[in-house]
Amino acid sequence: MLSIIKSMALQGLDGYLVSIQVDISNGMPDFKIVGLPDTSVKESKERVISAIKNSNIEFLSRKIVINLSPASTKKEGSIFDLPIAVGILIASKKIKNPQLEKILKETIFIGELSLNGNIEKTKGILPICIEAKKIGIKRIVLPLQNIKEASIIKDIDICPISTIREVINYLNGTYDIKSEIEEQELTKNIKYSIDFSDIKGQESVKRALEVTASGGHNCLLIRTARFRKNYACKKNGNNFTRYEFRRNARSNKNI
Amino acid sequence: MVTILPDMNLEEMLEVTKIYSILGLNSTEEPIITTRPFRNPHHTVTQISLVGGGKYPRPGEVSLANYGILFLDELPEFNKSSLESLRGPLEDRKISISRLNTTITYPCKFMLIASMNPCKCGYYGSKEKKCSCTSEQIKKYINRVSGPLLDRIDIHIEVNPIKYSQIETKQKIETSKDIKIRVNRARKIQIERYKKINIFSNSELTPQLIEKFCTITNSGKKILEIAIDKLGLSMRAYHKILKVARTIADLEASEKIEEKHLAEAIQYRSLDRKYWQK
Repeated sequence: MLSIIKSMALQGLDGYLVSIQVDISNGMPDFKIVGLPDTSVKESKERVISAIKNSNIEFLSRKIVINLSPASTKKEGSIFDLPIAVGILIASKKIKNPQLEKILKETIFIGELSLNGNIEKTKGILPICIEAKKIGIKRIVLPLQNIKEASIIKDIDICPISTIREVINYLNGTYDIKSEIEEQELTKNIKYSIDFSDIKGQESVKRALEVTASGGHNCLLIRTARFRKNYACKKNGNNFTRYEFRRNARSNKNI
Repeated sequence: MVTILPDMNLEEMLEVTKIYSILGLNSTEEPIITTRPFRNPHHTVTQISLVGGGKYPRPGEVSLANYGILFLDELPEFNKSSLESLRGPLEDRKISISRLNTTITYPCKFMLIASMNPCKCGYYGSKEKKCSCTSEQIKKYINRVSGPLLDRIDIHIEVNPIKYSQIETKQKIETSKDIKIRVNRARKIQIERYKKINIFSNSELTPQLIEKFCTITNSGKKILEIAIDKLGLSMRAYHKILKVARTIADLEASEKIEEKHLAEAIQYRSLDRKYWQK
């Protein structure tokens, strides 16, 4: 039987729709992924098989062919694990819901599987959500850990899930995904350990940096003196560029 | 420097977050990046990691610094080819990476902040210590930063050592907070002015837009004329001066660009004459 699941991939900064076609037929047991997959996509075969088995669902040994359409663009990443697994489950009739076709048409699936059936966080959620909204997708099924990133996009249903069991129950209509999205605080007051008032003198440099920051310009600082390691210089940031910027970099590392 | 950067608006945040998101660099708890990025790659950075690329084209440091700062310490120490590869991104504010079947464009509207010594020993141009380099060495060192690259940097400034009296002074010094208020105000004026054309700051102005938005007073024109004739400035330098002057005028909330704004902007372009044209 054939099933078609929608998902998304990334090209540069934009997402594009990928439809994942799964066909299960009688024949020698086989599992093939076509449509220019790279190694990380090919490996999803192992993850999908183990994840389905470890979720106590029977995995049929049949001839399985998976096509990632458009078949001419290269695909990479582990993002297709979940849609492939869902496609296999539907094609092997593990999910029964009279409205399934309608749901699948409006939904995209993204997520990486781990061998025990859990769904792990993936990259590139934001561009995918933006693109999905643009092309009129109503629902996105994505990993629970990515919910905060996705929730900044409004007017689209976000269904966070954490295991493959939950997806099956959701598609069977026996499980309702509650997405509690908190409004995010976007204006934060970050305390820096450094301050311009730590730098004595150098008024012209500070002024130049102020202009730079205001207009988004570029700036070149030419130091005519070396960093001398005596106390006064250190304390007062004589060589203020080096001292100041290094400290800045450190305080900024966590983003 | 990060302490005085203007706040980001939502569009800027989304664009920055997009780049961090495709690389998986944002955290689960706070996935949206709300502060302007600060990137300072070491000078051994390769060209690909600086501007982006690879088998599956990834954004480089220039794109990660989108709407924020790319800080290059010890500019002449960087690989020549990496430095020159910055020319395009600095001008176009985006970088296109071509592959056999696709071309991918990443934005890179970064502020380049670079620092350097004027010579190997670090004392050339200093008033108090003698430089021990030969003129040949100085020339070689300083020419690692090429003219075209230098042309693309709007503001050049010299950092001189301070006097002891300044160290001991008890005078109150402005905090980052005070400066940030002014910076934010200036940026707001710019966003308001460029609302219709979808840019956020003066640095993004194209030559046509400069004609439109940078109105100069008559006395200002005179100063500009003298500067261009006397200093032999290039067309690009002329545009940069106007952009910087626009920003300085915005800092004072002045609608037209006046003489003093232009004078300050020209002064920021005069250092290359001291060090480079010898």
